[in-house]
Amino acid sequence: MSRVQNRIQKSMENIRATEEMKQNTLRYLEMQQTKQSSIFQRKPYTALRYVMAVICVFLLAGTGGYAVYSRPVSYISIDVNPSIELAVNRFDRVVSAIGYNEDGQDILEHVSLKNISYQQAIERLLQDAYYSRYLNQDSQLVVTVVSEHSDAMLEQINANDSFQALGALTYSSDTACMDEAHQHEMSFGKYRAFLELSQYDANITVEDCHNMTMGEIQNRIRSCQGHNGSDTTESHSSQHAEEHSSSHGHH
Amino acid sequence: MKSTEDVNRVMDAYADMVRRICFVHLKDRHDTEDVFQNVYMKYLLYEGSFESSEHEKAWFARVTINACTDWMRALSRRKWVSLDALSEERAVLDDSSNEVLEAVMKLPEKYRDVIYLFYYEEYTAVEIAKILGKKENTVYTWLSRAKDILREKLGGEWS
Repeated sequence: MSRVQNRIQKSMENIRATEEMKQNTLRYLEMQQTKQSSIFQRKPYTALRYVMAVICVFLLAGTGGYAVYSRPVSYISIDVNPSIELAVNRFDRVVSAIGYNEDGQDILEHVSLKNISYQQAIERLLQDAYYSRYLNQDSQLVVTVVSEHSDAMLEQINANDSFQALGALTYSSDTACMDEAHQHEMSFGKYRAFLELSQYDANITVEDCHNMTMGEIQNRIRSCQGHNGSDTTESHSSQHAEEHSSSHGHH
Repeated sequence: MKSTEDVNRVMDAYADMVRRICFVHLKDRHDTEDVFQNVYMKYLLYEGSFESSEHEKAWFARVTINACTDWMRALSRRKWVSLDALSEERAVLDDSSNEVLEAVMKLPEKYRDVIYLFYYEEYTAVEIAKILGKKENTVYTWLSRAKDILREKLGGEWS
């Protein structure tokens, strides 16, 4: 070793990394290692990607599925005095039930009609003791349907024995009529009846009908029909609502 | 990413060398600590492998020199080392060591590396050329000029 080399080495040999410096660095690296591994370490990261993908699929399927499930495609208005509207999805399940007058809202507080088929919902309603109080000799049960498949739905509804026994009337209507009805805060079944009555009685107003039961409206219609010399309920059609079928036993 | 065992091993093996290279480049202890950590962080994240321990050591030398150069470039207003900045180190050195060190520290930066690598780490000019990414002839030239300067400062014994 040359003298020069010796002196240089001697001058530098006391320059060493201190324990403190090493430990600080090791601690720092350990911290970074944990941080990096949580972000980059292949296994958990890959696993996380799969987990996220599966969650995304479920979320999409979930939200998509729920969107399809909760989207109504048909509407059923059930009016006696309580006015209740059911929104029905493409799987014939009731996705919402709304009361359009106090009696209707009152009933819905006692009877759950959601997430069952519309046939079951109508059956449940008719069997309900609370609802039955409105079904008497003077009342008129009217079921009105807005749907692309209203014929099939009405057929299903009419197949119900208790429904037939009550002499219920069934009609189909359309979305324009339904929208108008809702602007008047009325069920579209009752609004259809109002439109029918207004064909005979020009003085009748929506407000009047708000305070009338379906039995009263039907009686007025019948009396007007009698007054006008007509005794059929089959032939009436209003501007928006079209009578689909009626009079199963009771007039 | 390197394992904890690898990190511990290279800490034992190269910490002093990294520290010395930092010393010949950097002004104070805080800079040294920062660069020291940066070098080991680079190792932690280094994806490549080393053919041998010599290869690994040369990697540390090169990475440390580059890290110091980058650091100094970032702190370009603090280009040269004042004697005050060495005070912490001076406490552990005797006078004769101080004289040599101060002379080395006053060399232009590129000469400091070749002097350190050549005399302390005993690398050949060829190896230094590889580490620094320079031509062999450049290393010879730098070594020769650095020796001239040291001889001038420290006297005839450097001849």
